[in-house]
Amino acid sequence: MSELKYKVIPKGSAEGVIPLNLTFIDKKDIDEAGMTAREACELVAKHYGQETTINVMDLDAVTVTSDGIMAPGAVVAFASADHGKINTDFGFISVSEMPYSYELLEAEPHLKQWDIDYRGKRLYRGPKPSDKRPRASYNENMTITGRIANNNTGSEMMNLVEMTEILTPHFGMLALMQDDEVLVGLCGPEISVGIGMVVREHDGRIFDWAFDAGMTAHRSGVYAKTVKLGIPIIVGTKKALAHFTIRALEAGMVPGLHIGCSPVVLSIAKAMGYPIAMDRIMENAWIELESVGITREILEAPSEKLSREEVISRADEMLHGVDNGKIYKTSEIANICFAQF
Amino acid sequence: MRLMHTRLPDFIDKMQAAGKKRRQETMVEVRGLENLKSAKLASLRVGRLEDEIVELTEDPNVEKVEVIVVPRNPETLNTVIVKAVRKDGSCKKAILECMLITSPSEDCELFDVEEIDDRRFPIS
Repeated sequence: MSELKYKVIPKGSAEGVIPLNLTFIDKKDIDEAGMTAREACELVAKHYGQETTINVMDLDAVTVTSDGIMAPGAVVAFASADHGKINTDFGFISVSEMPYSYELLEAEPHLKQWDIDYRGKRLYRGPKPSDKRPRASYNENMTITGRIANNNTGSEMMNLVEMTEILTPHFGMLALMQDDEVLVGLCGPEISVGIGMVVREHDGRIFDWAFDAGMTAHRSGVYAKTVKLGIPIIVGTKKALAHFTIRALEAGMVPGLHIGCSPVVLSIAKAMGYPIAMDRIMENAWIELESVGITREILEAPSEKLSREEVISRADEMLHGVDNGKIYKTSEIANICFAQF
Repeated sequence: MRLMHTRLPDFIDKMQAAGKKRRQETMVEVRGLENLKSAKLASLRVGRLEDEIVELTEDPNVEKVEVIVVPRNPETLNTVIVKAVRKDGSCKKAILECMLITSPSEDCELFDVEEIDDRRFPIS
């Protein structure tokens, strides 16, 4: 008999902050087991038995965060499970690989990071329309089984009966998969605003070809900072977030032109003296940024330039967005399980 | 025309009547259509449901039949109509919005069911 390894962050962990069960499977383990991602999710759903989201992550692939930062690791399939089952039609979505092409890099300038930092890596973002069938074009990138919904390609999860939810931005999931430290707390205003500062992508993890760098997807003015406010969230450490953001800036990505204008991106670009395409930031995006204290005047004011090392070492004081946050080792909040087959 | 689509009140009556076909005391509860005041339902599907209620009540141990209508796709796109109504009941203005509603899937009604016979047409 063989075993498939999976990792569970149980409901109630992190001192009660985690509101629902979250399950992660490494694609490498699925490949070694010789099964499909759907078969693996069904096996884990049956073995675990309780209501849970399931994300399949490929740590050898790369993805793009909502603000356009390319990063290692990718959700390549995601599912919702309840009572050991996965809904036949709506419980599972597999994410197709986004093939490399010069046309794609031309259309999506933030993907220049692919050439510079991740050449040769397979790219996964959101599902293609064919991956989402039988969902309609207006449906979000969401799986639903019973009580559990797993939305935005595995980064926003809900219990539809208890009506609880949690956010799992990419660097949080990456840290969980790599057994690193994670920051668990409640979403603050800066992340709430930042999640809306997206880039234009075909088949993105959250949006399709809709909002360019410099725009806001929230378009909700001063209310953008409250959209996600107070929702439990698992993120990577601020040092890790700073590291990957600096990497994008070093690759020549300009906030507002190539990548989104999230508070994290703008704060680091300002601190290190990288250019910001101020004139491309739309008026409604400025309103949202100003609501969390980021103004054009502050960004344009002269200031001391910090080095990469200085920004990373000061990341905890510079980058905001998690309220009541506490650092946990993954081993402190996760259980390793094995499903026999 | 009469055979093509069934009126909503007739549908409710037909479900009740089908439940009593084998035994008069069988209860039939229809849920999920409470928001609809009027509607037409595909008659061939209504007929299938009538036959299936009779089929289920062939078992003498069945005392009640629940007919539960849930969205086939649990993430539904809805139109929201916001109407400004005057004192005399006339409507000055209406604003239309979209609302995606994500609701629990049919699985929540089925977890404790011993045998599930899925006769829906496939949509995948």
